Amino acid sequence: MPVDTKRIRGPELSQSPLLFVSPVSEVSSSSSSSRQGVRGNGDVRPVFARCGLVSQAKGSAYLEAGNTKIICSVYGPRETERKDETDMKSGRLVCDFRLAPFSCPKRGAWIQGAEERDLSAALAESLQPGACLHRYPRAQVDVNVVVLENDGSVLAHAVTCASMALADAGIEMYDMVLGCALRQDGERCLVDPDLAEEQSGAGENQGRVAVALLPNLNQISGLQADGEMREDTLTAAVRTCVEGCHKLYPVVQQAILRAVKKKAPPPPEK
Amino acid sequence: MATIQVSEAEKVYIMHGVRDDSRVDGRGCEDYRHMEIETDVVSNTDGSAKVSLGQTDILVGIKAEIGRPRPMVPDEGYLEFFVDCSANATPEFEGRGGEELGVELSNNLYKVFNNRHSLDLRSLCIRPGENCWVLYVDVLLLQCDGNLFDAMSIAIKAALFNTRIPNVHISEDEEGGKEIELSDDPYDCMRLNVENVPCIVTLCKIGHRHVVDATLQEKSCSVASLLISVTHKGTVTCVRKLGGGSLDPDSIFEMTETGKRVGKMLHVPLMELLQKEENLGRERTKVGFLA
Amino acid sequence: MAGLELLSDQGYRLDGRKATELRKLQARMGVFGQADGSAYMEQGNTKALAVVYGPHEVRGSRSKSLHDRAVINCQYSMATFSTAERKRRPHGDRKSSEMSLHLKQTFEAAVLTQLYPRSQIDIYVKILQSDGGNYSACVNAATLALVDAGIPMRDYVCACTAGFVEDTPLADLCHAEESGGGTTLSLALLPRSESIALVQMDARLHQDHLPALMEAATVACKGLSKVLDDVVRQHLQEVSVQTRE
Repeated sequence: MPVDTKRIRGPELSQSPLLFVSPVSEVSSSSSSSRQGVRGNGDVRPVFARCGLVSQAKGSAYLEAGNTKIICSVYGPRETERKDETDMKSGRLVCDFRLAPFSCPKRGAWIQGAEERDLSAALAESLQPGACLHRYPRAQVDVNVVVLENDGSVLAHAVTCASMALADAGIEMYDMVLGCALRQDGERCLVDPDLAEEQSGAGENQGRVAVALLPNLNQISGLQADGEMREDTLTAAVRTCVEGCHKLYPVVQQAILRAVKKKAPPPPEK
Repeated sequence: MATIQVSEAEKVYIMHGVRDDSRVDGRGCEDYRHMEIETDVVSNTDGSAKVSLGQTDILVGIKAEIGRPRPMVPDEGYLEFFVDCSANATPEFEGRGGEELGVELSNNLYKVFNNRHSLDLRSLCIRPGENCWVLYVDVLLLQCDGNLFDAMSIAIKAALFNTRIPNVHISEDEEGGKEIELSDDPYDCMRLNVENVPCIVTLCKIGHRHVVDATLQEKSCSVASLLISVTHKGTVTCVRKLGGGSLDPDSIFEMTETGKRVGKMLHVPLMELLQKEENLGRERTKVGFLA
Repeated sequence: MAGLELLSDQGYRLDGRKATELRKLQARMGVFGQADGSAYMEQGNTKALAVVYGPHEVRGSRSKSLHDRAVINCQYSMATFSTAERKRRPHGDRKSSEMSLHLKQTFEAAVLTQLYPRSQIDIYVKILQSDGGNYSACVNAATLALVDAGIPMRDYVCACTAGFVEDTPLADLCHAEESGGGTTLSLALLPRSESIALVQMDARLHQDHLPALMEAATVACKGLSKVLDDVVRQHLQEVSVQTRE
């Protein structure tokens, strides 16, 4: 790229001024049971979900939970580029997770960073048990997830969104995959945390948990936790996440049903 | 990972063995393989350790460099992880082949250390907002025979224990400019408190049971494993499901419990061993790879 | 020369060696179980690890395979913590690629590649700690690894560096001597036939001094070959005792 040498370029390293703004005084911690006065600790944010927004893709889904906005499109199954090592008997699920540069408080790069690559891998691992990949030998299914606005629990919602898109694309699946995240802050556990809740907190028993669940088979297909937690807290947190996933299920079901009805309207009743 | 081919019959044999609590190499389900640890193997580094667990060989080198603290946490130093999957381990890692695995491993290491108590990052601060120590933890995979995570975490803990950071003196000249001077005396150094550094335990689900420290053969029989990092107090700092399969919630709870128990038990002999090696002092003959 | 005095008036070098003296050499073969051949080499403070895989089918595109001999594939890399200043990447930079190429050329001259047509031999070397003479430590380690893998060679390949200070050739330079800016000559030699597998020299040297420098390097290589031979014999003895039991 040609560089304008006459212009004074900014410093190589720059930080957003928002970083230096003192964090918003914790409203949530003071009010004991409600967060921002709207929901309880165990409540998930209201979810809006729609399938089939991207007409070019085989299947797509859009999901909004509070301010977190995620769009996912699925392409394929299509022939995979031949690689010697891959197992040809079953299909491959190729996940690409991206945080749009404008999605976070700090501007990100267009190129996929280490964090995004990690999230892609986690997404693939969570979705794989749900999809009947053995039905697609020598093929690959591409799942592209873009986070348009990151307001916490991106991985969990991305999993839900991606599984809806897979269903919309008509990929055979054993079950839906639903995601739910949780923020453990001491004895308090906040289900489906937003970005401020995700980053706040100090002291003992701090942690973040994300669970991906196959609701009908009752199998956990993805589990990620970090921070510092006692074992019993962790177990309880996983249980709470499983419950949170079940809460999402009706919304997801409705959205898919709606998409199916739209694609193949039921025969007019006589 | 090194390619191994396991036939269906072999898989059945391994799975039946695990069901009856006897593994191919005679271990029980919660036993580790023979492990060898040696610290201070690379003199160019500030701390280093070599761990071999069965045929898995890992070398960790830690270098401390002076950098700028992150603006969000001006009074803390930080750790940087890098995992080099060298072609020594398997020809597949040649060129950029090992990069993917390396990134995955290092991302998990960041997660494992993503809490306040694993390492006292405040002690790495030299001047708040200006200078701090950056610990570059470089992991080198020399041979893979399963259970990379556990071996890696043990090697990192040993290397951190071995790390000696020279003390610094800040001097000020007349114009108010500050200068950082490193101590030349090798004994005038800072040690890290590694008590809370977690160890990773990877549990492999095979059939209805789970095993600790799976070899590559055993790993090929399982579809999902659970990584748990545990401190000596039994606090869990990271959990992650690995692999393409799914797990029953109840088995996850069982596995976390086993992981916690095994992890806690791992810390005691490890610290004893490191202390014992330390006490040998200069009389210790360094073996390295020449054993 | 400014600063460091590489050779004292009494004829001693920085680390107390005489001009033609080699650094302490320790080596071990068969370090790893999974590879076909492996060796570890310490030359003073320079530590190198070499691993050999093969001969095996050519990996990747078939077009690389040669119908009459084996392809030798080398990768040289340095551990990120091997140098005084931390390296950002273990391999892939210009210097490592050059080194990989040199190693490939060296071993193409020594391995009897025509015995394995259409196949490939991988040689991977890793510098764990660098203190001068990286190339020669790698060559020596790789030789041992090839022997360990049972790959036929014309002869041992022994490599050594030599420098030239105050009209005296110095053998087996350490990092301080190498970075002084003087002449450095790297020589890889098949000692029995005295044929040269690779020679490289940087910086300026009067043509009259070259024979002396080459002579010093040759003598050093021959000395090294004896040590390597001992290591191999000792290793064989250990292995054969083990198998007899």
